[in-house]
Amino acid sequence: MAVSAKTPAPPVPKRQRSRREQRNDGGTAVSTYGLLAPMLILLGVLFLAPLYYIFLFSVGLKRFSPTDALASLNGELNSFSTGLWSKLVSVDVTVMLPGLNFNVPVLLIGIFFLVLLVAAVTANRIPEYGNWLVGIAFVLLLAPFLTIPAGNNLLRLLELSSDGDYMRLFFKSVTMAMTSSVTAVLIAIPVAYFLAFCVGKSKYTWLLIVIAPFLTSYLLRVFAWKVILGDQGLINSGLTSIGLIDEPLTFLIYSQFTVIVVLTYAWVPFICLPIFLAFETIDRRLLEAAMDLGATRLQAFRKISLPIIAPGIVAAFLFVFIPSIGEYITPTLVGGTQGTMYGQSLASQFVGGAFNWQFGSVMSLFLLGVVLLLTFATARFLRAGGGGL
Amino acid sequence: MNARMNRQGFIALTGATSLAAFLAACGGSSSGDSDAGSSAAAGSGDTSAAAPVGFDPATEPDAPLLVFTWSGYDESPVPDGAPWMWQEYTDGPYGAKSPLKFTFLDDDTQALAKVASGFAADIIHPCGGYIQKWKEAGLIQPLDVALLPDWDGVPESLKAPGLIDGAYYHLPFDVGFTSLTYDADAVDFSKVGGEESWKILLDDRYKGQISLFNGPDEIIEYAALANRGAKDPTELTIEEIAAAKETALLMKQNVRNYWTSQNDTVNDFVNGNILITATWPDGYWKIKTHPKMKDRNIQYMQPIEGRLTWICGLVLSAASKQPGRAMLAMAAANTPAAGAAVTDNYQYASGQKAGVSELITNKELITAFGLDDPALWEPPMAWPQKAVEPYKEFIAAGQEVINA
Repeated sequence: MAVSAKTPAPPVPKRQRSRREQRNDGGTAVSTYGLLAPMLILLGVLFLAPLYYIFLFSVGLKRFSPTDALASLNGELNSFSTGLWSKLVSVDVTVMLPGLNFNVPVLLIGIFFLVLLVAAVTANRIPEYGNWLVGIAFVLLLAPFLTIPAGNNLLRLLELSSDGDYMRLFFKSVTMAMTSSVTAVLIAIPVAYFLAFCVGKSKYTWLLIVIAPFLTSYLLRVFAWKVILGDQGLINSGLTSIGLIDEPLTFLIYSQFTVIVVLTYAWVPFICLPIFLAFETIDRRLLEAAMDLGATRLQAFRKISLPIIAPGIVAAFLFVFIPSIGEYITPTLVGGTQGTMYGQSLASQFVGGAFNWQFGSVMSLFLLGVVLLLTFATARFLRAGGGGL
Repeated sequence: MNARMNRQGFIALTGATSLAAFLAACGGSSSGDSDAGSSAAAGSGDTSAAAPVGFDPATEPDAPLLVFTWSGYDESPVPDGAPWMWQEYTDGPYGAKSPLKFTFLDDDTQALAKVASGFAADIIHPCGGYIQKWKEAGLIQPLDVALLPDWDGVPESLKAPGLIDGAYYHLPFDVGFTSLTYDADAVDFSKVGGEESWKILLDDRYKGQISLFNGPDEIIEYAALANRGAKDPTELTIEEIAAAKETALLMKQNVRNYWTSQNDTVNDFVNGNILITATWPDGYWKIKTHPKMKDRNIQYMQPIEGRLTWICGLVLSAASKQPGRAMLAMAAANTPAAGAAVTDNYQYASGQKAGVSELITNKELITAFGLDDPALWEPPMAWPQKAVEPYKEFIAAGQEVINA
């Protein structure tokens, strides 16, 4: 016993792990790759490869048209053209504040937003004022794009416009997408709260009811809105018959308002799910403890629930914002001449007689760049623990 | 042995997989390119001989004949027993051996892109302004008009857009107007000269009650007609295009929406959202005969500047392996019975004129659209839409109006 106490114990040979243990230890390479393969193939074939091609088209390294005649028809230059890019981005942006308008180049606005985005996801590390900086960055990011639809006008503090047709449409699309996604989130939070806390055992029945509209085709739902919002539709004829209005409210159909309403409606059931799931993860005992210590319901929500569901809310916002910003079908059906969006203009480069595929690629690459930037920023924001919310 | 995948391993694998996907995609598409290229080359080889070659349907392979056409030109619209455009072919000797197979196109340019990228079709159904582009891209070959027994019944004016380098590339099948359908009880032309005119689109009393077709070329053409009067709106100088664009922007202030599907604008009209809309003959007819419009005075404008007409028809793909059988199918579509069928079902005029009127069941249509009055279909009463020059500026102007 004394000898063995003085000399270090001989290393115990590692016990040979059984095959079963190895299998359970995260699986073999084969099963790991096997599980990933469908996703990787889908990603490669349906996303990366088309993306690679759009990139090649947009810089003129490749052309789609098999013959020269068709290439010239399709506006494919087969060489890099700064002209196409500058048609999109070297334009002036007009910043419109109440009582003050000034022009700045698009590049400056881009850098400004990039700085805000970086501040929004990193400033919470700065002691003391960090959270304030994050808040200010968020407000500045949202201010130009968040509006309150009021009839034919969109009320806002600050507006961005441009002398370039495409950049103006882009800002307009961002505004409409931002307004509808924020509205959708604001509607979805109480619904998700209701599902998670108020209905007890029947919550999954309620969930089914909430997502029931998804069982109908999107086109049918949009047409249903046309029936509701038309000049002789449900709302207008209802208001006329009770004597509130004499003339139909024409902004209800074929306006930016219509597009925002339809987009919001379309996405609310969908984003109830992530927010509902976020609410479900809240430990009820924390809320009870808060109540026991004298917090009101609102305080408990603000201090406990909100930080826990923040990632769910941000994810829900992105779920709506990203598809909405490039919307094509909704503005085509209900937008009229007022509600035109960037996605329609992009599509019209390829179809409808424009024959301008290279510029269409440039436009889609620009949109993709913006969306990717936002996605990365959000991922970073969530990893940093919700930016101190 | 490293059973778990580490981070580098994962990145390497992802990279390798996406690289493989790229290569597969590139390989696939480059072979597609070369296929399309060679077929196009073969096509241009054929087309270099201006005189069409004689096709022999008997020696051609027994495979389905692919027809790439607008929705509604397949077998569907006809009640049991009534004749339809393909009848003579399907009842003929090759109807069973090479049955017709239909694919639908949404848009002339989209169809051109699809065929150019290797989509195999034997018969395609493009419209007037685009035939030249199909020819330039080497995608179509001349028709052997000797195989069309009823070819002489098609007037020269309709054949003209398809006559390129001395050969006919296009069999005119359906012809129609584009004009404004409006409610004559609610719309008056007193502010724009008292007569029906495209200038009504500038009358701000109808602000928010007008709908127009979402075509960049048409938007400029309406404005050009309003600007220049009864002159060909497809032949404009750069300055005239710029002027038309300004007018079109003014019109846009009154326009509620640019429609992409005619059924949408018909619905908007009968549901009271609009009073004036640009339609084809079938759109006008649907509105006029709609139960909700029974007591309204719906008119199809014959403006002093003239209506627009479009001429659509069948072309023979350069890559077709059964050109003889395709010609037989086209011959069926060129018969008077086929012409009457397109009028009865869609209210369009037919490319075929000889002996069609007698076969039309609904005689009301003949007077409603002046099918027996050729002058109504020709300048200055109506301007056929054709390839516009300078094309880029024309389309860009229209797009800027839509995007503004």
